[in-house]
Amino acid sequence: MKKTIVSIALGALLVVGFSFAQSNQPTDSAMEVEPSVLSIQTPVANF
Amino acid sequence: MVEIGSFIKLQRTKQGMTLEDLSQGIVSLSYLSKIENLKTEASSEIIQMLCTRLGIQIDNSMENEIKEKSKEWYSMLFEVNDKEEIVRTYEELQALLDRNLFDDLMLFEIHKVRYHLVLGEYEKALEKINELNKVSSTFDMEQNYYWFKFRGNYNSVIGDNFKQAMTMYKHAEEKLQQLQLGELEVADLQYVIAITHSKLRNTLESIEYANKALGVFMKQYNFMRCAQCHIILGISYRRIRMHDKAIKNYNLAKHLGELNKDKQIIQLTNQNLGYLYSTTGKTEEAIKYYTDVVDDEEVHLNERMAAITSLIKEYYNISNIEKTKEMIVRALELIDLAKDNINYKLYDYMIHTYSHAINDEHEQFKSLVTDKFIPYLKKHKDYSNLVVYSNMLGSHFEKLGRYKESVKYYKLANLTYEELISL
Repeated sequence: MKKTIVSIALGALLVVGFSFAQSNQPTDSAMEVEPSVLSIQTPVANF
Repeated sequence: MVEIGSFIKLQRTKQGMTLEDLSQGIVSLSYLSKIENLKTEASSEIIQMLCTRLGIQIDNSMENEIKEKSKEWYSMLFEVNDKEEIVRTYEELQALLDRNLFDDLMLFEIHKVRYHLVLGEYEKALEKINELNKVSSTFDMEQNYYWFKFRGNYNSVIGDNFKQAMTMYKHAEEKLQQLQLGELEVADLQYVIAITHSKLRNTLESIEYANKALGVFMKQYNFMRCAQCHIILGISYRRIRMHDKAIKNYNLAKHLGELNKDKQIIQLTNQNLGYLYSTTGKTEEAIKYYTDVVDDEEVHLNERMAAITSLIKEYYNISNIEKTKEMIVRALELIDLAKDNINYKLYDYMIHTYSHAINDEHEQFKSLVTDKFIPYLKKHKDYSNLVVYSNMLGSHFEKLGRYKESVKYYKLANLTYEELISL
């Protein structure tokens, strides 16, 4: 019985910890710039 | 198949007609309401009469022409294409759809979200999302795919909620597995997922998706899209300190950009190469790349702003006061043109922070960084900049002998740094 309670408590802690980590994910700084999500489509090959 | 009731409702509201105007002499007002809300199926005679009053043909004779034109329009919805042509094709298509019944009308309506995003009309895109949200429960699998993808695009472009963007893209990815869309469409979704992972600093996931997309673009000989994937890979490898691999990817991107004479790709690569050299302590190299970007007037303002603020930082760090001041003057000129930029506030704070610091304006410096800039960075969870500027504030107080305040900001930098490396 004790083992079950301990496992449930640990499981709950894990879930809480995971959700906390998820909600604290950082976003990127503006100095490292990714390409746009809407930018290029048409194949442009000049080879 | 388009639901005729929804179509009638859409056309009636577009033409400013009330239920009464349309139903008069044909059906009762309540019956028309039921038809529009798909609660009953009217006879074909009634539908014919309603459509005639709305000035719509329902003989499907234009179906193929509309289908071709809509496909052409969907394929134009990218930032690099001629905006005037996109608008012209849209207006032609809309005029056809106002007079004819079209099976894929809903798909056309969903693509309007993307259309407004490409034109930079973000409020209109949001209005369209809210409008479509009311009927989204009726969407089929393909409509749902684009619905989620474009909502993700909206969150990506607005840049305030990449987590939400990722949720949308993941929904789109689920739908994709049950659809037979082309390889390029699959790769485009993988590409946007890679970018979103990169924004969220999920580095390994970003590498995985960028490689998947790259595989398809290579097969299609779509070199510019390959270059974009190499840039994402470069950023990701730099973050896990695999600098050689990062440089190799950046060089590949730059090479492809040069072959296609694509200034945006070349300078985007230069900006990221500059950042890589800056983080590895090679200031001279970093300055060389950043200067290239700033001097290129053809490059998007966002990249030029990122480069000029990076240059201010580099010159300040090597205590080149004259050059720092010169760059601040140039940055202030540039930022005047960048008022609509999504990162405007960030650049504005950066420039003024360095300006107060270099001119020994201690009170203004302290007040700007503590009261405005640091809360802004915390709000946007911009941890890398938070480390930089809380360290700067710590060092500022240290120089003034205000050790208690100095420790407070060094501690903030330290905690933020831990947050960064633990992810």
